[in-house]
Amino acid sequence: MAFIPSHKKRPRENPGQARLQLTSMMDMFTIILVFLLKIYSTHGQLINPSEDLTLPSSKVQQLPELGLDVTVSSDWILVNGKPVEQTQNIIEQEGYIIPRLQEELLRYSTEAEKMEILYGAEFSGKATIQGDKHLPYRLLIKVMATCGQSNFPNMRLVVYREE
Amino acid sequence: MGYRSLKRDRRESEWVHANITPMLNLMVILIPLLLNSAEFVRLGIIELNLPPAAVSANGQMLAELPQEEIVHLDLTVTITDRGFFISSSLAVLGGEKEGEPSISKVNGEYDFNMLSMQLYQIKQKAGYRFPDTDRIILMAEPEIDYQTVISTMDAARSLYYNGEMIELFPEVSISGGVL
Repeated sequence: MAFIPSHKKRPRENPGQARLQLTSMMDMFTIILVFLLKIYSTHGQLINPSEDLTLPSSKVQQLPELGLDVTVSSDWILVNGKPVEQTQNIIEQEGYIIPRLQEELLRYSTEAEKMEILYGAEFSGKATIQGDKHLPYRLLIKVMATCGQSNFPNMRLVVYREE
Repeated sequence: MGYRSLKRDRRESEWVHANITPMLNLMVILIPLLLNSAEFVRLGIIELNLPPAAVSANGQMLAELPQEEIVHLDLTVTITDRGFFISSSLAVLGGEKEGEPSISKVNGEYDFNMLSMQLYQIKQKAGYRFPDTDRIILMAEPEIDYQTVISTMDAARSLYYNGEMIELFPEVSISGGVL
C-alpha cells in the first residue's frame, strides 16, 4: 500500500526568510539553568583549595569558615598563599615548633591584634589548615602545634565533603 | 466586514512562533553567572576541640572541685600501622591475642566500621557516669597518613547504621603522641 501522508505538506510561509530553530537550544538551556540553580550556594567559596594537593574526604557536614589559610602541600608550607618553609625540612626536624612558620604566624597575629585595637575588627585566632591527604601524622602535628603556640588556637581542618 | 477579518486573523496566527529571543538573552547572561558562582567541590571543615585550658595542680580551680576525685573516661584511640588500640583511664580494650591491636586491620585496610561499633558499645556502657562522654582523644604513629586520621575522626564522631546517624564522641581532640 502506498504511504499516505497524514497531513499535507504545508507551504512555507515566507520562502525567502530562513528561521533559526531555537526550541531545542532553549530546552537545553532550561535544563542547565535548573541544574546550576540547584548547586548554587549562597556562601560562595570562602576557601580556595590549593592546586598542588588533594584534600582528604570526610563525612563532616560543617561548612567552611574564614580564617588564616595555612596550606601544607607535599613540597611547601604556605601561609595565605606565601611559601614559608619546605616540607621536607620539617619532616626531619626535631621538636614540635616550626620556627619560620611561627615567625610568619606571629606577624599575622600581631597585625590582626593591631587591627582589633584600631578598628575593632575582632581577632579570633582562627586558622584553616589544608593538608595533602598523604601527609604523615608527624608533620600534621608539628604544624598544629606551631599554630597553637602562635596565637592561632582555633584550628580547622579543610576536607572534601562526601555526600 | 467584522466576520471576515476575524477569520483571517486566526489563520495567520497558526504559524506565528513564540518570540524566545529575549528569554535566550536571559539564559546567556544567567548561565555564565551561575557557572561562575557554582561550587563544584564541596568543602567542609573539621573543627578541632582543644582540651580545655590546663589548670595548674595547685591552682585555684582545684579548690572548687569536690573532695572526691572526678574520674574521667579519657577515651583514647591510637592508630598504628597494625590497627587501632582503644584505651581509657580504666582499661585497655584487648585484641584477639595478647599484644594485638583492639581492632586489627582487615586485608590491609583499617576497619572503621568495627571501630565505630566498638566505640558505640563503649558509649553505651559508659553512659553518663563520666563527665567527658563526648570527648575522645586521637593519637597516631608518626607515619600514619592524614586521610586515615580524618577517617578515624569520622568513625569516632558518629556511627552510620541502617542509614541513621548515631552520635558517638563528637569532640575529637588530637594528641601529639610520641615523636
